[in-house]
Amino acid sequence: MTRDPIGLALNSMNRLAGSSWLDRLGIRRSVEWLAYSGTRTGFRTLSVAGKQFKRARNVLPRQRLPAKRPPDLFDLTLDDDQRMIVDTLAGFADDVIRPAAGDADEKGQLPESIRTQAMELGLTLYAVPAEFGGVAETRSPVTSALVAEELARGDLAIAAALLAPFSVAQSITRWGSAEQQSTYLPAFCDDEPPMATIALDEAQPLFDPAKPATTARRQGDGYVLTGEKTGVIMAASSDLFLVSARLDDGKPRLFLVPRGTEGLSYQDDPAMGLRAAQTARLRLKQVQVPSDALLGDDDFDFDAFLDYASILRCGLAVGTARAVQDYVIPYCNEREAFGEPISHRQSVAFMIANMAIETDSMRLMTWRAASRAEAGGPFSREARLARLLCNDKAMEIGTNGVQLLGGHGFVKEHPVERWYRDLRSIATQFGGAHA
Amino acid sequence: MKVLVAVKRVIDYNVKVRVKPDNTGVDLANVKMAMNPFCEIAVEEAVRLKEKGIASEIVVVSIGPKASQEQIRTALALGADRGIHVETDEEVQSLEAAKLLKGVVEKEEPKMVIMGKQSIDTDNNQTGQMLAALMGWGQGTFASEVAVDGEKVNVTREVDGGLMTVGLKLPAVVTTDLRLNEPRYASLPNIMKAKKKPLESVAPADLGVEVAPRLSTLKVEAPKQREAGVKVEDVAELVDKLKNEAKVI
Repeated sequence: MTRDPIGLALNSMNRLAGSSWLDRLGIRRSVEWLAYSGTRTGFRTLSVAGKQFKRARNVLPRQRLPAKRPPDLFDLTLDDDQRMIVDTLAGFADDVIRPAAGDADEKGQLPESIRTQAMELGLTLYAVPAEFGGVAETRSPVTSALVAEELARGDLAIAAALLAPFSVAQSITRWGSAEQQSTYLPAFCDDEPPMATIALDEAQPLFDPAKPATTARRQGDGYVLTGEKTGVIMAASSDLFLVSARLDDGKPRLFLVPRGTEGLSYQDDPAMGLRAAQTARLRLKQVQVPSDALLGDDDFDFDAFLDYASILRCGLAVGTARAVQDYVIPYCNEREAFGEPISHRQSVAFMIANMAIETDSMRLMTWRAASRAEAGGPFSREARLARLLCNDKAMEIGTNGVQLLGGHGFVKEHPVERWYRDLRSIATQFGGAHA
Repeated sequence: MKVLVAVKRVIDYNVKVRVKPDNTGVDLANVKMAMNPFCEIAVEEAVRLKEKGIASEIVVVSIGPKASQEQIRTALALGADRGIHVETDEEVQSLEAAKLLKGVVEKEEPKMVIMGKQSIDTDNNQTGQMLAALMGWGQGTFASEVAVDGEKVNVTREVDGGLMTVGLKLPAVVTTDLRLNEPRYASLPNIMKAKKKPLESVAPADLGVEVAPRLSTLKVEAPKQREAGVKVEDVAELVDKLKNEAKVI
């Protein structure tokens, strides 16, 4: 039974045309004419052409508009180096990091073999200029974000641990004085480079990384550092700590504190996630450091330091978000319930679609911030927006990943529960909430 | 001794290929490309020969469109010294590839050519054999071990039913099998150095070869999807199906 108005009208007209009383009354012709003109006017809007098209006599050559790529918009094409670095690290993440990740998480330990292999890849050399034995030629926040992404696709905790010395070396390259660079950077290019880490977070209510509670009191020719840091990656095995502290004038700065400095101690502080990165508390009890432990010449920029750190965290978030996505899609296509794959259910399909949209958004915002940083322009706003997006969406993607696996999401047989735990660290590590 | 390694740009082995709707070939749009895995093994073997002090220079050659330079760069990052790109946008079939490689070999005069036993796109397994024939050199195909001994190379081949070792007089062509070695990852410093290594581009005409396909592809089709199996109630039904439906007993 047709329910639309035109259908109803046609139906009644057909009945009218079929009825015998028209003939009995002798009015069939006039009624039929009425019905005919009625249908014609009813359909008229579709049948009357607004404009006539004449066949062209002179045929011009076919035209296609050329692609336009203004050079001032950021470019998403990887260059040769970046492509090869991504390819190499993708293989490393798939073949080396991923298979070791479950065990590393269980034991709460970074496998020594992975650290050795990462050294062989020369990861840290990429943070050091050629003059000090490294291979860095330009500032490369985009490549750094790509590196973080690929490693974290293997495992977030292992990636965070491997990138800790990388970030320290990068900070010294960015802001270190000639003396600091000559002291520390060549060591990072040795056959056995040091482990190094950044100590930034503190267990303070409403912690703001720009206002650390750890203090650096001027004393004689040096400084005295006092405070306690939390969530310090690889603290137990680090040879060098980059510690944030507040100067007497209230300004936040970074200090290079070598292992073995008196008053420096740590305490294991395992967390819900990042277990292979062996997070710990770092206590600074009247730690005396010389004046040249203060990182940076006159060009030091604490905000930029936080923003670079944010870009790297975002890269990590994107990588693990991609891991989740790559895992749940085949799962949902294969897992059958009610006689068909669960991906046929819209509640599942939409969740996966949102995951893909969010991962791409995170990635694009991260790349935009990184590419502005690379070009030397202001990037603080972009880095913080990217960080806030990643804080939220990384957690959401982790949660939804577990959800999509149903009961299987809850058990350790699948890696998604680990990613869920690790992804929660994006918002808490490195003063994430204060971006 | 100088070693020449031939590498090919193919669809990455992780990619699930799709046949074009008009059945003329495989869809290459927006598909990740990579070095043929057997070629990676060939590069690795050459680099190992160099590390052992046997090879003095590794020249890597690739034939294909401009983008093939990516694979040459990858080989340079893995440890090759210099690249030659034979640039053509035409479809290059095995015999043309062998002739082009012959042109390069005659110019470079290497003592050994190492290449993959086959490329994972067309799976022909011909080019190495053809090159050896065109050059009049010995060939050691499906290599699982390569041992250079002075002016000789012993190549252990994976053949049906076991291993066969052939002794070849150099110069020779060696094609690699899967178990020859496990390729390394390019280190970041080597990736950075790769772009400073020389890469020369030549046209097929410079090598005196005209690239024109001799074979035309009639149709490319995706493999038939495997159908779901059936469950049988009892042994009698199974026997019946095997007898009358499958006709195997």
